Amino acid sequence: MDLLGRILMVEDDPKDVELTLTALEEYNLANEVVVTHDGEEALDYLYSRGKFKTRSSDNPAVILLDLKLPKVDGLEVLQQIKSDEKLKIIPVVVLTSSHEEKDMVASYKLGVNAYVVKPVDFHEFVNAIRELGVFWAIINQAPPGSVRK
Amino acid sequence: MPQRVEVRRTMARANFYLQKARPVFLRYGLGVVCVTVGLGLGLLTQHYGFRDVALPLFLFAVALTAWFAGPGPAALAVVLSIGFFDYFFTEPLYTFYVSRSEIPYLIVFVAFASLVAWFSAVRRRVERDLSQARDRLQTEVKERSEQASLLDLTHDTIFVRDMDFVISYWNRGAQELYGWAAQEAIGKRSDRLLRTIFPAPLDDIHAELLRVGRWEGELKRTKADGTAVVVASRWALRRDEQERPVAILETNNDITERRRREEEIRGLNEELAKRSKELEATNKELEAFAYSVSHDLRAPLRHMAGYAELLQKKVASLLDDKSHRYMTMILESAKRMGNLIDDLLTFSRIGRAETQMTSVSLDQLVKEVLAELRQETHGRDITWKISALPACHGDRSMLRVVLVNLLSNAVKFTSRQPQAKIEIGSADGNKDEIVVFVRDNGAGFDMKYVKKLFGVFQRLHQSDAFEGTGIGLATVQRIIHRHGGEVRAEGVVDQGATFYFSVPKF
Repeated sequence: MDLLGRILMVEDDPKDVELTLTALEEYNLANEVVVTHDGEEALDYLYSRGKFKTRSSDNPAVILLDLKLPKVDGLEVLQQIKSDEKLKIIPVVVLTSSHEEKDMVASYKLGVNAYVVKPVDFHEFVNAIRELGVFWAIINQAPPGSVRK
Repeated sequence: MPQRVEVRRTMARANFYLQKARPVFLRYGLGVVCVTVGLGLGLLTQHYGFRDVALPLFLFAVALTAWFAGPGPAALAVVLSIGFFDYFFTEPLYTFYVSRSEIPYLIVFVAFASLVAWFSAVRRRVERDLSQARDRLQTEVKERSEQASLLDLTHDTIFVRDMDFVISYWNRGAQELYGWAAQEAIGKRSDRLLRTIFPAPLDDIHAELLRVGRWEGELKRTKADGTAVVVASRWALRRDEQERPVAILETNNDITERRRREEEIRGLNEELAKRSKELEATNKELEAFAYSVSHDLRAPLRHMAGYAELLQKKVASLLDDKSHRYMTMILESAKRMGNLIDDLLTFSRIGRAETQMTSVSLDQLVKEVLAELRQETHGRDITWKISALPACHGDRSMLRVVLVNLLSNAVKFTSRQPQAKIEIGSADGNKDEIVVFVRDNGAGFDMKYVKKLFGVFQRLHQSDAFEGTGIGLATVQRIIHRHGGEVRAEGVVDQGATFYFSVPKF
């Protein structure tokens, strides 16, 4: 797993965080996951400011973004990322409970790279997370400037 | 006075007819008769000892002739008078001999008689002209008063006023509308009498009136009893021979009631618009609520399922069969609830989503849906009878939901039949719509519950018999209604069911 990329997860629900991390752990993908709990924190991380001031300035290989977030919501974060020259090359996967076509269309219009609805069934959920992790963190060639372990 | 006028008019008319219409000999005859009567009277007065009466009598006869018979007979009368006078009244009597000394006397008589005749003729002519003018005037007055009384007959409000608003004519309609009698209104200023409120500056109104000769508009006025009235007013300008504006004819229609109704309708419309806005807002809120509930329900459900799964994995070796079953039940319930939420989301989305109407090939759609249901039909013995379906006009993704629901229902409710039969076809619709049916030989239903079939969360079977959320048919109905169509169902318990839906033809 030399080429495992760093995953930035933006998720406010600690249970979702735990379940996602558990799912990733099963496939040894959890080591390089950074968790932020709202949109503002996610942007702080991406811009290396606030409590992330001291982090290395590399981009994550992929961002797993929930849409319903406190403070700054997922679509706003997405818009910010995709309108920033430096950040817009990071692949963003929306991982949400929302089946809404409206949300999906809005996300794609903002330039999201994938849109995944969290399945209720845990097996399906684990499968989805695993495939996402494998694809974006291993198979996909991350854009230059992203962290590789 | 009218009697005298009448007499004089009769005289003038007799005179006129005598001169114009009577034959010439009658007029000259009159001259002869007049002079002869003058002669008779002269001789009579002389006989009784009166002197010098003859000459004035002849003059009178000449004047009378001139008056009634005109200049020609008057000249004859003058000649006759001189003859008779000379013959009967001057020395020597009974001869036409004229002595030298009498010549001036006769000349003066002739001159005087001619003068009298001329005066009479002029006077008569003037009299005649005058009487003709008067006749014309009388006729005109009569016509005018007839017209005025005709105007009085109309229901419309009509009055005439000069350029300074002073009223000169006021019909009965005006009296009825405004409550002022003609004698009260005439001579008053209409704008003050009726407290008129003009819709535009008066200068502008007058400018238009002078330019095109007409003006139309709505005026607010006040009746005699103080009630307000709105009238549709039309003005027509009257000009004199020199093209100077002299009067304005105003016709008014009372539109107070119409205005009031329009006002009422507008009020109602506003109220309606407000209500529908409120309703729309409420609807939106409700949809947002449904969305939010469905959405937020999924998260804890996922967590429940997730942790139960993790727990099961962790302690699988320690659990007895019963505990295993409990775990399975928890997971199954979670899954069922997940489906329920998904269906609710679909259902609520139907109401919110914009329909995108296109031509939809139902044949193609059925094929796609059958492919989607392959997992459910796998291992089943189902005889499909699928007829060709016409194209329809609708929202493809919504109609797909309809077919998925109806076909998966058919598959589900025939699951206990060893030999399942499912038929898809089109029935006779009308010229604007097509009717599609899905028929199965499955569990069917009792027709007395048919009304419950399309309600949300209505189930006619126990959940352990056929699983389902009870939202599918409600969704079908909602979609078809949004297409302006109808849904209905027929069924017999244990013999199958047929579902019909109509959609617009393409």
